[in-house]
Amino acid sequence: MYGFHGSLLHIDLSSGQSHWRAIEETRLHRFLGGIGLGASLLYDYAPAGVDPLAPANPLIFASAPLVGTGLTTTAKFAVVTKSPLTGFIADSLSSSYFALELKRLGIDALIVTGQAAGWTYLFIHNGKVEFHSAQQLRGKSALECESLIRGDLNNSSARIAAIGKAGENRVRFATISNEGRHAGRGGVGAVMGAKNLKAIALCGDRSAIVADSSGVASIAATLRARSLGSLTDKYRNIGTVANLSVFNRLGVLPTRNFQQSTFDEAESLSGETLTENNFSRRNGCAACTIRCERLFKALDGGEQRLEYETLFALGPLCGVHEPDIVLRAARLCDHYGIDTISAGGTLAWAMECNEKCLLPGAQDLGLRFGEAAGVFGAIEAIGERRGAGDLLAEGSRLAALAIGGESRRWAMHVKGLELPGYEPRSLKTMALGLAVSPRGACHNRSGAYEADFSGEVDRFKADASRGALVRDSEDFAAVLDSLIVCKFLRKCFTDFYREGAELLSKVTGWDCTSDDLRRVGERIHNLKKLFNIREGWTSDDDWLPERLLTESLPTGIARGVALSPTELREMIQAYYAAREWDETGLIPEKKLSELDLTGFLPQDAETRI
Amino acid sequence: MDAGAVILVGGKSSRMGRPKALLPFDGEPLIAHIVRKLETIFPEVVIVAAPDQELPTLPVKIARDDIAYQGPVSGIYHGLQTSTKEACFVTSCDAPLLNLAFVSHLLAQISDVDIVVPFWEERFQPLHAVYRTSVAPLLKNQLERGELRPVFLFDKVRTRKVEEEEIRGFDPDGMSMLNMNSPEEYETALRLWHIRNSISVSVELFGVPRLLAKTRSVTLNLAEGATLAQVLSALAEKLPMLAGRVIEAGSLISGYTCNINGLDFVRTPNAKVASGDKIFLLSADAGG
Repeated sequence: MYGFHGSLLHIDLSSGQSHWRAIEETRLHRFLGGIGLGASLLYDYAPAGVDPLAPANPLIFASAPLVGTGLTTTAKFAVVTKSPLTGFIADSLSSSYFALELKRLGIDALIVTGQAAGWTYLFIHNGKVEFHSAQQLRGKSALECESLIRGDLNNSSARIAAIGKAGENRVRFATISNEGRHAGRGGVGAVMGAKNLKAIALCGDRSAIVADSSGVASIAATLRARSLGSLTDKYRNIGTVANLSVFNRLGVLPTRNFQQSTFDEAESLSGETLTENNFSRRNGCAACTIRCERLFKALDGGEQRLEYETLFALGPLCGVHEPDIVLRAARLCDHYGIDTISAGGTLAWAMECNEKCLLPGAQDLGLRFGEAAGVFGAIEAIGERRGAGDLLAEGSRLAALAIGGESRRWAMHVKGLELPGYEPRSLKTMALGLAVSPRGACHNRSGAYEADFSGEVDRFKADASRGALVRDSEDFAAVLDSLIVCKFLRKCFTDFYREGAELLSKVTGWDCTSDDLRRVGERIHNLKKLFNIREGWTSDDDWLPERLLTESLPTGIARGVALSPTELREMIQAYYAAREWDETGLIPEKKLSELDLTGFLPQDAETRI
Repeated sequence: MDAGAVILVGGKSSRMGRPKALLPFDGEPLIAHIVRKLETIFPEVVIVAAPDQELPTLPVKIARDDIAYQGPVSGIYHGLQTSTKEACFVTSCDAPLLNLAFVSHLLAQISDVDIVVPFWEERFQPLHAVYRTSVAPLLKNQLERGELRPVFLFDKVRTRKVEEEEIRGFDPDGMSMLNMNSPEEYETALRLWHIRNSISVSVELFGVPRLLAKTRSVTLNLAEGATLAQVLSALAEKLPMLAGRVIEAGSLISGYTCNINGLDFVRTPNAKVASGDKIFLLSADAGG
């Protein structure tokens, strides 16, 4: 087998047993690696209706065919599990040398189930699985764990993924960190914490062989050259923080818990201003030529990685305009291992509750829009699950359910996952993409905003054409996330499906066509949806927060722009039709058969968390 | 390359009937207008004037041509001798419609040659060309031999001839090379200037364009019915640091897009703009 190893490692923490199993090549053909492979294994390994924080919920680390090929931006892995935040699929990507080491173990996926009797870290090397006590690592950040574990193992080359204290405390939006990067969304860190698993250390010695190494090298050289051209200027010269100023001007910058789509003090936080005043250094993921990562200097002299979503979520969304507060809040989130988007979304919800005197304890935390002390105190309280932080650690959906009343109206999530930094009312295609995404409000599993920013559609108006646009964007993302290729490379392909199929053929030796690859994308997306259906999804879950459907935008270029429930419903129906699903969003058997998914027929739906 | 500009002002202005350098243009003497324009891209401007020629006070170096009215070779020689730069764009004081994007393009070609000279309407344009200052001794030799036409130099050194098709990518009508020798041509130039500046749009810069230009926005004056291509050409002229990085020959380089008034995203060069439009120049990739 080329491009893959054709095997997986299943470790059960409860029994201490490890099993190396073969993966059928047909599964790899149908789902590739990354998100696709992870979703297919999740479907098989997760008992229907499993509690996401129960031992039986599998935590899956999936590698991919392009990992280790030398192709720029491909040193990535997927973490797939059932999300404690949404009760549906969580599929998070991350990028670091951990991804390369995972593949060097000689496996395509690592599945962890069960719960260790005490805090444990795993060391996997030379075909062996070792269980080590992690008692001494309790309360440590992921970065601290990395150096402590390397010392403990006397192995400086081990690559490590770990959870911070938020993961230990099962904060529902905790991350899994690796070398400063995070598998961030959906609470995968809480699932790891619920298994009493503090870290996983890897040291591999095997490489996957590609079928046509010179062919792969030639494509890699072409893409490397393109990745250094004007198509990636933004990422290479400023990073994603460049979004903030232009999003503000276009009226798509969510501000003060989505009460506005412009922020008066945006310029003080803009990527351009940060670059001029706070830039420290540029960094990149393993084996990446784009190197979009930017580290900025805080006033205390420390440096902090920052990208747009963190900047928006801990800045305008919480009414904060001082760069130093955002940088230090981001550092605190990294320390605890907390998803910054969900942290910002939950804090903004709590700030608004506090304004309306609805949240006991929020007053004590000083949670008010724009106030630094409240932001720092609340992040600590969430990470420690202390006081009101214990409720906020549940995320905005469950917290709003707990305190009840009107607060659900401004809990800005879809399926429990807090919204990213794209205002849906002034980006109508994105509104649909966020509403229907299987993992909740997500800007990565589809790039629906691209249509809104392209002039292809009128971004202020909703219409049925968005259904097919969102479908195509989701399928495209499913392929990228399963090969895996970074989305920041996507525009460097002139004809992605043709070039992607050629690349996959040269890596695997398969005879893969553009149409095959398109079909794989569609199949993977349908499988994720199938998993959700099995776990209790109904069409009510494909919806947006009430604020977005009842309040028009009050400021900026988009002033007066609104999105009505009727418009959203019509777009959703157009999307279901484009997907060839029925009008309730369920997948007809004919479609399942067409996609070769009949082996994944949903069982009886179970109760969600 | 470290480059400057040289402006020859020492001509007789006999057909014009009055000194061309002092003709009113856009509310100021023509020489001041040209200096102000060139200053935006050149840190040093040298004016080569006749021995007793009167000039307004300007932030430039003045070189005096020791023998008046010898012609352009002498002027170019004195300008290059006075300049402290490695290369100079050389022009005359009767060219009021200089296109800085085109000038920047010429300058960018000098790295491996000695002269970059446009060839427009079947003629070399030696007074709209870039010269390395190292060619000055050759010009002096030419003067001593009485070879008073600059073209004699072009065969002796490495010369890059810029053809019409290439020029049109920056300046479709070659207006940058328009010079005026008579009152009628002066009137024509004024009329062209007003036509080309009858509407006003603002361009707001985001991301890389803002960092390159070190400014958030600029106002551009354009002709009625102007297109996005003309906006981009005028922008590249006003902010030459964007030429080749964001804008090339009146088009956006891949990876960039424009939005008009926050509504329409446009990249097509023939999209029309109207007076008062706000045009945002941004990355075409909104990922983050």
